[in-house]
Amino acid sequence: MGDEVREADGEKRVEAPTNQDNLIMEQQRQIEEEISEAIPLVGVKEDLLCALEKEYAADPIYTMKAKDLSSKYSSIRRMRPDGNCFFRAFAYAYFERLLTNKDEYKSFYDIVSKSKDDLIELGFPQFTLEDFYDTFMEVVERIGGGEMAQDELYELFNVTGQSNYIVVYLRLITSGKLQRDADFYLNFIDGNRTMTAFCHQEVEPMFKESDHIHIIALSAALNVGVRVRYMDRGDSAQVIAHDFPEGTTPAVHLLYRPGHYDILYEH
Amino acid sequence: MPCQPPRGLCVPFPKLLCLTVIQTTGRLAYRHLLEWARRARLELVDIRVTGPKAFRDVQVDESNMLLWHGFIVPDNPPYNKGAFRIEINFPAEYPFKPPKIHFKTKIYHPNIDEKGQVCLPIISAENWKPATKTDQVIQALVALVNDPEPEHPLRADLAEEYIKDRKKFMKNAEEFTKKHSERRPPE
Repeated sequence: MGDEVREADGEKRVEAPTNQDNLIMEQQRQIEEEISEAIPLVGVKEDLLCALEKEYAADPIYTMKAKDLSSKYSSIRRMRPDGNCFFRAFAYAYFERLLTNKDEYKSFYDIVSKSKDDLIELGFPQFTLEDFYDTFMEVVERIGGGEMAQDELYELFNVTGQSNYIVVYLRLITSGKLQRDADFYLNFIDGNRTMTAFCHQEVEPMFKESDHIHIIALSAALNVGVRVRYMDRGDSAQVIAHDFPEGTTPAVHLLYRPGHYDILYEH
Repeated sequence: MPCQPPRGLCVPFPKLLCLTVIQTTGRLAYRHLLEWARRARLELVDIRVTGPKAFRDVQVDESNMLLWHGFIVPDNPPYNKGAFRIEINFPAEYPFKPPKIHFKTKIYHPNIDEKGQVCLPIISAENWKPATKTDQVIQALVALVNDPEPEHPLRADLAEEYIKDRKKFMKNAEEFTKKHSERRPPE
């Protein structure tokens, strides 16, 4: 509604301040969108040290951390910073792994194929849910069928519609897990929000950034270990690792820099 | 690979575009392109089968599945004597971005302004969830029409009247409805 410029047509302009705010917000959103759309949804694999040293040439702390990181990881794959980066990075990195890992594929397939009924049971509208589920499963099945090559996965994740359908379905799985185990996860959220309200505001909408709680819930729901490397301005020389859920062997490695996730590849 | 438009889609995709999509993005993406507006299509079937009685006579032109017209038929006075034509616009990015709703019939309502804009939280850019059904959006809209929310008005003058002098508001709104609203389509 905010994109319609309101002209001063007559006496009733009481609502002007709110609409002005909306216009500013809308404009800000557009600027952010333009910036982010210049970056591909999923980037190509880059040499880690090269990429980060170039980025942080004038920054000794980050350069030191890039060196530390490069002792464990060889490459990085950048994600579009559109608020979906965690979910997209998770999906891409894990699907890429499943292309060659048949055993893991089978247990993953069993888990996700049951997810739809669980979500419907939780009260998600059936037909919209099915729409996301079907698209998600179609991609999963192609991965398992051995039909899909690396570059096809890459192309697929760079088609906005497809890529976003996958993100939405992971958001729904995350929401489902948080709601089902609300007693536990409520400990992680601030304020007096109910878990349902939290999911409606912070998990299910597209472009909402992910926090620890999203990662814990998704990794637990799908039984996929995630190791996140935290790279910030802190004074430790090392890039600290966190594993989700705690104690699992990581199947996906992500680099976190304040506000953003990218994929890491081990040596 | 045959390059034909999907069932029910009137505007065929140019052959060259199809081939380019297949070559650059693979078959799956191609299929998805063919199913352009698929979700809006699904929504339409859903709304026609199970839709709320308060939303009637839904018209969608086959050439543009992303633009719907229909009538809101409220139950509560002072709006229960008429029907209100609305337009629902699904953006190209739907369902990742929310639909927009405009009233095409004038209505005397604190939450709907003279341009037909309505402030409905469920479809605000901030709150929108891709899994939300249009049916749920319509129900929220009907609920708002039936029971105005003067706490966050789009028309402060009407909200004030609604709070301070309900009788006067009801009288004005009823007269306005008689004068401007449309005939209620049968169920």
